[in-house]
Amino acid sequence: MTRVDQFESVFRSAARTVFRPEAVELNSVLVVCDGDGSAAEEFAARSRSFLGILDERENLRWVTVPGSEFRTVPDLLDRVETERPGLICTHRHLHSESWRWPYTLGEYVDVLTQATTTPVLVMPHPERPEFQNLAGHHPRSVMAITDHLTGDNRLVNYSAQVTHPGGHLLLSHVEDDAIFERYMEAISRIPTIDTHVARQEIRDRLLKDPENYIESCREGLARSAPELTVEALVTSGHHIRAYRRLVEEREVDLLVMNTKDEDQLAMHGLAYPLAIELRTIPLLML
Amino acid sequence: MVQEGAQAPSPEVSLAVTLFFAAFLVGMILCLAFEEKLHAQKSLIVGLFALITLLAGAVLLPLPYGPYLIGGHEVALPVYIPAIDWGVITIILGASLFVDVTSRSGLFTWIAIRLTKASRGDPRRLLWYYGLMTVVFSAVLNNVTAMIIVGSLSAVSLGKLERSDKLLGFLLVEGLLTNVGGLLILISSVPNIIVGTAAGISFIAFFIKAAPFVLVVTIATLLLGARIFEIRGLATPEEIEEAARLVEGFDERDGIESRGFFWFGAVMLVLFIVAIATASVTPYVRDLGMGFIALAFAAVMLIRFKHEVDEFYRTIDWDLLAFFAALFVVISVMEHAQVLALIGRGVEGLIALGPRAGTSAVLLSSAAFSSVTDNIPLAAMLAKIVADIPMPGGGILPPGDPLWWAVIFGANLGGNLTPIGSASTLVAVTIMHKHNVPLSFVAFVRKAFPFAAMHLALAVGYVLIAT
Repeated sequence: MTRVDQFESVFRSAARTVFRPEAVELNSVLVVCDGDGSAAEEFAARSRSFLGILDERENLRWVTVPGSEFRTVPDLLDRVETERPGLICTHRHLHSESWRWPYTLGEYVDVLTQATTTPVLVMPHPERPEFQNLAGHHPRSVMAITDHLTGDNRLVNYSAQVTHPGGHLLLSHVEDDAIFERYMEAISRIPTIDTHVARQEIRDRLLKDPENYIESCREGLARSAPELTVEALVTSGHHIRAYRRLVEEREVDLLVMNTKDEDQLAMHGLAYPLAIELRTIPLLML
Repeated sequence: MVQEGAQAPSPEVSLAVTLFFAAFLVGMILCLAFEEKLHAQKSLIVGLFALITLLAGAVLLPLPYGPYLIGGHEVALPVYIPAIDWGVITIILGASLFVDVTSRSGLFTWIAIRLTKASRGDPRRLLWYYGLMTVVFSAVLNNVTAMIIVGSLSAVSLGKLERSDKLLGFLLVEGLLTNVGGLLILISSVPNIIVGTAAGISFIAFFIKAAPFVLVVTIATLLLGARIFEIRGLATPEEIEEAARLVEGFDERDGIESRGFFWFGAVMLVLFIVAIATASVTPYVRDLGMGFIALAFAAVMLIRFKHEVDEFYRTIDWDLLAFFAALFVVISVMEHAQVLALIGRGVEGLIALGPRAGTSAVLLSSAAFSSVTDNIPLAAMLAKIVADIPMPGGGILPPGDPLWWAVIFGANLGGNLTPIGSASTLVAVTIMHKHNVPLSFVAFVRKAFPFAAMHLALAVGYVLIAT
């Protein structure tokens, strides 16, 4: 290794990404469900109650779209285009019986999360007991997840915005062991690289960046949202299993995650399997 | 026959033999000039020439084989051992080891990042801070280490500030300033050490003489650099706020593993400079020399890493040290082959132009020579030649004589004319290539010429007026 590279590494390591608190501006919420009448009203009321903190902070306009007002995905997209909401609140498997099986989100949510730039709050399906349990429940424990937390100001700002005052904002980062081991396997076959040193140093480095960023978030939010308790959950393991474990252990009320991927049309690599598996809690998909 | 410590040149050499050895010297200098093309490192190039010239010397010259009389005792040494100036070798070895270990304390990166933050991301202020830092680091550490630290920081910080388009200007100005900073103190560059030691210039005398010139040239270089490369200050409040926010992200504590070692490193650095500065007047130490001080400080710093000292031994630039050792051997053989005396007659021709024109001619020709090849052989050769200039009452020219300073200024500043003129400008070009802002040889010369011409003009004026 050259000394130029050595010093560049030192300076790059010192050049940290700083969190910048920014208020998330929401004007209206579009509530979309597949029920009509009282079912739609109940879904809208429960969603509004869950997001009560937004109502308190902003002068929000709530618009409900019952199931009878759209029959196809283009119908729904047209409605979103007309309303231009700041947030869409819906549930998985609109107009579908597939909610009983944990394999998809349903075509409406699949398209909504990718075809619009509007964040989508996906509530548990109204027929699941978890939806009934949301009555009077607020997001007091909110977990932000992504596989690249560092520098993701928008994700953190949204998460802080929806966390109930006095609540816990859990900023999580799980480094995928499978990918790490694949690289280590390659490194272990390169004689010029010390495998033991590489394993230790690379792992430490991978975890240090999100830790530093979360520390910066903690400092930033201490000024902009002092009522929140910010916690860091930085670890390594199997992505899905690790996040599921963290959700259960920390009794998370709301998961916030990025779903858009600049390089592909499909949902962000980690977001989709997590959204499929974690059906019992609301998900805010950015 | 017993030799008196150092070797005395023999006059019994024919002109044909002298020219034969001179051809070897020219060959070695050409090989060093085309080092990059040969894909061979300096130590091997000069080492091979040392072996060949030694063998040829054994056949054709009356080399002063031992035993040698050292401190009244006869010591048997191979002829090439006393040929090496071990004082210079130990200063370089000790100082580079000391700097390497001290840099592990995070001290230099801490200073560099603090300055970056103090600039608040303003490009013009950044250029001034980095320029001054380059000069100070070149003076206290060495010009290559200074270029590596400041150059790599420039690449990272300009990238973070989204001003990578200014990287070329920053690196070029910093590269040129390493050679200016290399003039500040006696231990800043190898030519200073070689010529200063030969002339008997003390650390303090060197600093007092060189500092005003370095200050003026640094300011002039930064002003010209900001103008040529259009490095301007931030204009709008939005730009100022955004830049300040971006540099605030730098954490100067990141490279500090232990606060205790950080402060220890800072104190040791100050003590090192004080010890070197007072070496010529400190009892006992003055007899042991600056090499002893450098090695002693390196050893004390290494105590912190007692279980991994071999790591630091591996980072020593053995190529550079072997290069020096081999170079001293070649020069010793050239001295015995009367090659230096022959070049000396050429230099005498320059000196004979008069006190002003002669001194200027020596400075400019030293600069021209060191712009295309290593300035160390040049300094070593010229130091010996100037030292051999006959004085009316015997001895050598006084330390304040303009000729010594003409060699020092010429050998250091000549490196700014071409990218191969000094190791630090070569490092600057390497960083440019690494960051996809390549600069060809000709383009470098074209861009550096206004600076180098200004430096040399100021140097000629300064040497003639102030020395």
